[in-house]
Amino acid sequence: MGTTYHQLRKLPKVHRPDTIASGILEPFQPWRNCVLQVLRMRFFTATVLGLLAPSLCAATNLTTPSRLDLPSGFKPPQVFKNTNLVRNTNLEKSYVRETINVVVENIDKQPHNDYYIPFPAEVFDRVAGFEVRDKKALEKGRFDVDYTEAVSSDGNQYFVIHLPEPLAPKSQITLGISYSVLSSLSPLPATIGQADKQYLTYSFSAYMPSAYTTNTQKTKLKFPSTNVPDYTTTDGLKSGSDPERKGATYTYGPYDTAKVAPGTQHPITVRYEFTKPVISISLLERDLEVSHWGGNLATEERYWLRNNGSELTKQFSRVEWTFTNYQQAPTSAVRELTYPLLPGSVDPYFIDDIGNVSTSRYRPSIGRSAGSLELKPRYPIFGGWNYSFRIGWNNDLASFLRRAAGVNSDSYVLKAPLIEGPKMAEGIQYERVVVRVVLPEGAHNVRFEILEGTNSNGLPGVNHIHAHLSSLKTYMDTLGRTILTLEVDSLTDEARDSKFVVTYDYSMLDALRKPLTIFAGMLTVFVAAWGIGKIDISIKKR
Amino acid sequence: MAPSSLDVVLKGSSGRNTRGLLRVIILCTIAAAAVSSRLFSVIRFESIIHEFDPWFNFRATKYLVENGFYSFWDWFDDRTWHPLGRVTGGTLYPGLMVTSGVIYHILRLLTIPVDIRNICVMLAPGFSGLTALAMYLLTSEMSDSPSAGLLAAAFMGITPGYISRSVAGSYDNEAIAIFLLVFTFYLWIKAVKNGSIMWGALTALFYGYMVSAWGGYVFITNLIPLHVFVLLCMGRYSPRVYISYTTWYALGTLGSMQIPFVGFLPIRNSDHMSALGVFGLIQLVAFAEFIRAYLPGKQFQKLLTSMVLLTFGLGFGGLVLLSISGVIAPWSGRFYSLWDTGYAKIHIPIIASVSEHQPTAWPAFFFDLNFLIWLFPAGVFMCFQKLKDEHVFVVIYSVLASYFAGVMVRLMLTLTPIVCVAAALALSCILDNFLVASTPTPPSTETKAKATSDDKSLRSTRNPVVGIYSWFSKSTVVASITLYLLLFVAHCTWVTSNAYSSPSVVLASKLPDGSQFIIDDYREAYYWLRQNTPDNAKIMSWWDYGYQIGGMADRPTLVDNNTWNNTHIATVGKAMSSREEVSYPILRQHDVDYVLVVFGGLLGYSGDDLNKFLWMVRIAEGIWPDEVKERDYFTARGEYRVDDEATPAMKNSLMYKMSYHNYQSLFPAGQAMDRVRGTKLPKESPQLNTLEEAFTSENWIVRLYKVKDLDNLGRDHSNAVAFDKGLKRKRATKHKGPRVLRTE
Repeated sequence: MGTTYHQLRKLPKVHRPDTIASGILEPFQPWRNCVLQVLRMRFFTATVLGLLAPSLCAATNLTTPSRLDLPSGFKPPQVFKNTNLVRNTNLEKSYVRETINVVVENIDKQPHNDYYIPFPAEVFDRVAGFEVRDKKALEKGRFDVDYTEAVSSDGNQYFVIHLPEPLAPKSQITLGISYSVLSSLSPLPATIGQADKQYLTYSFSAYMPSAYTTNTQKTKLKFPSTNVPDYTTTDGLKSGSDPERKGATYTYGPYDTAKVAPGTQHPITVRYEFTKPVISISLLERDLEVSHWGGNLATEERYWLRNNGSELTKQFSRVEWTFTNYQQAPTSAVRELTYPLLPGSVDPYFIDDIGNVSTSRYRPSIGRSAGSLELKPRYPIFGGWNYSFRIGWNNDLASFLRRAAGVNSDSYVLKAPLIEGPKMAEGIQYERVVVRVVLPEGAHNVRFEILEGTNSNGLPGVNHIHAHLSSLKTYMDTLGRTILTLEVDSLTDEARDSKFVVTYDYSMLDALRKPLTIFAGMLTVFVAAWGIGKIDISIKKR
Repeated sequence: MAPSSLDVVLKGSSGRNTRGLLRVIILCTIAAAAVSSRLFSVIRFESIIHEFDPWFNFRATKYLVENGFYSFWDWFDDRTWHPLGRVTGGTLYPGLMVTSGVIYHILRLLTIPVDIRNICVMLAPGFSGLTALAMYLLTSEMSDSPSAGLLAAAFMGITPGYISRSVAGSYDNEAIAIFLLVFTFYLWIKAVKNGSIMWGALTALFYGYMVSAWGGYVFITNLIPLHVFVLLCMGRYSPRVYISYTTWYALGTLGSMQIPFVGFLPIRNSDHMSALGVFGLIQLVAFAEFIRAYLPGKQFQKLLTSMVLLTFGLGFGGLVLLSISGVIAPWSGRFYSLWDTGYAKIHIPIIASVSEHQPTAWPAFFFDLNFLIWLFPAGVFMCFQKLKDEHVFVVIYSVLASYFAGVMVRLMLTLTPIVCVAAALALSCILDNFLVASTPTPPSTETKAKATSDDKSLRSTRNPVVGIYSWFSKSTVVASITLYLLLFVAHCTWVTSNAYSSPSVVLASKLPDGSQFIIDDYREAYYWLRQNTPDNAKIMSWWDYGYQIGGMADRPTLVDNNTWNNTHIATVGKAMSSREEVSYPILRQHDVDYVLVVFGGLLGYSGDDLNKFLWMVRIAEGIWPDEVKERDYFTARGEYRVDDEATPAMKNSLMYKMSYHNYQSLFPAGQAMDRVRGTKLPKESPQLNTLEEAFTSENWIVRLYKVKDLDNLGRDHSNAVAFDKGLKRKRATKHKGPRVLRTE
């Protein structure tokens, strides 16, 4: 219980709909952040609070992410200035990971707390795990962020960062902004031979797109290797050679851009070797099924995988692949996916649409170490090829579920990873993730939280996770099980370590409902059979 | 005392209840044994649909479950037999799919989320449990012995002759049809015994179900009339027979005509004419019986003779006339091949090419039935001893089914039930006589004296008690029977485990350390097709793989295991067996995108396409005798070779080229081996011009080729390939020889 967590966006009661099942589709109120507050408390405190306030616990914290609709021709008010900006772009994985440290100063006469970060509309939806913190106080947690719709005049979409406290005039704050951009790397050449090296290109602007004037800025690029055959060299942006190369790190800048208007672009393109697959999951469906009677947490995941790397110039040659495999040469094809499973995971399976995939191996965990599921797809997945599959396993529920503190508490707390997914050196990007938590029949008063640490967990803010409740009738249910669905667009495998917490109420009566139902059903059958057997339907004379 | 306490349980009314309960428990155990002995493949591999035809049934069942009954009924499938399509809803026996669909929906109603695949996989074992119960009922009708039914049920449950078609995953029509067959016969016997309309109607009902489930219903359609006919010939006409037969025929025929695939066959097809004829005959006989009661003997004799002659003449003439005019369909080819085993090979190679249509080898009888096969004649003999109406049925069934089982391997399935009945009759007789070992008390002296005074004819009867009563002889017989039974169980288990439990989609072999190594090439290639080709990419392959491609790869195919259009199959055969220049236009005309071949050369997998190749040639030759000739594929010495000495026709055929394309590069130069045919291959791999290799599975079992599009520059493909290759050569020879001016 040492982990602290942030319960975000506690709305006042007025905004809370009272039903659980409706899925809570609340209208978005612009500028509502004024009434929002961030509560930080220990977990059980939240539970107890929930129990004590029935009207509060009748509702849930489930939200539908909505986006601010900015007026056409909107321009962020020029109330800030970026004193210094350092952008670190990491290209070691198959997606772009950016960390920006920027010193922001209020140049207006009033205090302000909304800082805008623009992205072109076509990139905006591919930004994953956007997170902003105070660089000087990381442990304070992430700031609230709102997303906006595209502004028609400049085609930008904005992240609106709400500073927890308005920034006073002339004062400064250092923001640490981190995010990943999916599908922004394109292979060049687009088709290669089966054993050839693969190259990716990445294009960006030497001047960081910002809504505000920036005094000085620089960009550090980290490549996976020193093999960078093509890169743009700039002319006249700064004195000396640009970029500066040091091993696999290339630095563009620093540039003095105090006079440059915000939004000025200076395109840079780099092309570097990346002879690894570009694994992209277009959809991941993950089901967690809680069974109180069985003491089991069953996990099933369904993947729709695609390799976005260079496609094959010719068709696939088995002979060549046999030799590549024999030499263990690097390849742009997916050979194998390694999936670490939590300790205590049992009965893993790996199947696809036409049955068991016999080429997988499971090394069970020993002690506290993670087990390892080695998934070998039926065929090597080259660029442009697809592979969809499903895997699943069981865990002992006791290590995930706890009864909330308190005497005779009917409240339960489930803590589990939001996503797990294979762990690959080249990284994995998820375009869409749907996590379904199937709670026992009769579970009510469902709430969920995301656990936050001092570092980024790769997830967007909790209010950008689409959550709703539904019910499912299965295995002789009468009411149907409560299902909490969490949907996130754009994720990377950085979110592997993130955990979420679901609390729900589940009484003894709920647990006994099914045995009683089955008992009643059997009784009915026997009584009916006995009754029918008693009827004499013969047409003989008596 | 122990015996007295046992007596309480086994005698009197409570004893009857106990025995009844015991009987139920034994039957349940037999059913459980029947189910569990069919689960080898599920435990060893996974819950998977086996072989070829089941994949179609599975696909059709999925369609039924997804789209509902009516759209299943009207299903026109444009993903098979491209570009013709198939009226699937009207050309299949829907009983199997509907049964699974009903089970599926009942389970859904109880909110038990069972995957339709698992229902399909477990359907055959489930129904085999029911077959054992039906067998118990049928045999109990034949014998007074309490043990005969139980023995027959146990035999039926585990005999390999039936297991061969009903292991888990073998989701074929036979899975439910054998149960229906046995149960229909039980109902029929019941009807004949009781002369009851209710039993006759029930027979018709299950007969209708059987018609909806399997083409083998014709067996019942002919066997029941034959039974009645023989009874009439034996002078055993009775109102019971009349009532049960007419009820069954009228209701059953109407029922069977509800199936679109059967339709008007029952009144138009020769296969069904015997039932109609016997129906007419029994009316006449009934009428004659009626007249006989009112007429004096001599007049009746005259009337009968003239009537018989007239009816026969009219009936026969009418039949010939209708056959010639085409109202009644002539006998089908499969029917002819039942009487002449050489017929199919000459006239319908496509039927002959199926291994299960081959005549049965003698060892197969012992393999599939073990000691039942030698108990079988004994059982039939015992039927002759009693020879009631139902025993006549057993005799007729035995004779007919024995013949058919000898003609076609797959018809072993129809023989198995009657073998179980007969063997159980024989064995129960033995056990009843030998198991009870108490010597009867010698009759009292006065009856003894009476007996001696009465019978002086036979010496053997002078002794008061006749029979074998010594403990030794009894225990010897019982022990040997027990031994046979145990051997039977061992044999059945062994056969099931080794011969009938391979899914054939997944192959298994053993690694040197004894662990199982799974060869999963089929699914690898099918899944590749499913994931990485356009949804409507047309796949051409030999018809064996049509259903699997449809089921696993979900792509349209040219031909499949339905084999309804011989010409279309011959077209594929021609494309496979001709030169590329001939094949390419055929491929283009049929919109073929990918060609799939099965090649076992690397692994030594003998069921590959090159070993089936001669059938393709033969079938193609049947349609184009001028263009494809079987002789061309044999060497001058009559050998079928694939190495250096292969004939030009062989070497240039598309099948040969696709099988060995690029294969030689896997080996050191000149070392390429074909492990199926055990020969060294030519040094150079064959050159493919119009196709390119798209995918080859891990062990090379499945090879996929993409059909090239037309050349951009309008050249033919061989020129284009030669140009691509020749470009380098030209550069190399550039400096050699004098320059030649181009003359035009």
